[in-house]
Amino acid sequence: MDLLTRIRIGAVRVHGGDAFSPAQRHEIDKAIRDAETMCRYEFSVFVGSSDGETRPFATRLHSTLSAPDRSVLVMVDPSARIVEIITGAEVRRDLDDGEVRLAALAMQTAFAGGDLVGGIAQGVLMLADHARKPRMLHAE
Amino acid sequence: MASRTPNAVRYPGRVMSDSPAPAARRLGRLLAVTPAVVVLLSAGPAVAVPPEQWPVSEPVSTLTVLLVLGAIPLALIATISLLVYVPSMARGETYVPGLAWRNENEWFGGPRGGVEAADDAEHRAVESSAGHDGPPDTDPDRGGASARW
Repeated sequence: MDLLTRIRIGAVRVHGGDAFSPAQRHEIDKAIRDAETMCRYEFSVFVGSSDGETRPFATRLHSTLSAPDRSVLVMVDPSARIVEIITGAEVRRDLDDGEVRLAALAMQTAFAGGDLVGGIAQGVLMLADHARKPRMLHAE
Repeated sequence: MASRTPNAVRYPGRVMSDSPAPAARRLGRLLAVTPAVVVLLSAGPAVAVPPEQWPVSEPVSTLTVLLVLGAIPLALIATISLLVYVPSMARGETYVPGLAWRNENEWFGGPRGGVEAADDAEHRAVESSAGHDGPPDTDPDRGGASARW
């Protein structure tokens, strides 16, 4: 079964309630906005179940963004308890995989404590903080 | 000074213990301990009457004791636990670790229409670029990390 079919099957899943309250949605939106102004890359957060393996699914989500090379996708699957972070080629120059792993670890810790919204906000801001280009203070 | 003692060869006199009168030292030890023993033995409960000038306190009822030692600590415990849990209750946290996630998928900053729209766009793109070899998501420069909890 190819990935597109799996995604389509996922789309007709029986849906439950809303995942977040307006305040929580606002908190995540604010974190994303702050992150984008901080490092000038685009952030996108997907919370939900992936169909099949999480990594290819997250990669697929990432490539459907408007500017994948300049985007960071954070995929959180609360039912599988997996967080996947995908960085575009251009972002990766400022945000290497070690730094991404660090943010993933911070999110993992928050999620394990039951703080989904806080973990997402914290992780996104952490990624932005690492992706921020260093300011040249004493250039010759 | 060391030449007065028998072991002058090895140690100074004040270090060695073969110097005068072990009996005197034993007596000294006894005298030092005696006051403490005497005080302890003479302090019987009979002497422990409160002084006359102390105010006489009224007897405390069992109810008051229970209230002070039981109800107040319990109320404190309840208040503190409430203070800890109220913030997350007020936020309406829907996620509980260990329980299944049955909520709708949510995509922040994703394409308009969410996964379905992205899926359709993807599908159209694949159809229009028929013959294009390889899926578009095999970008080797893409980075990232994952974690489980």
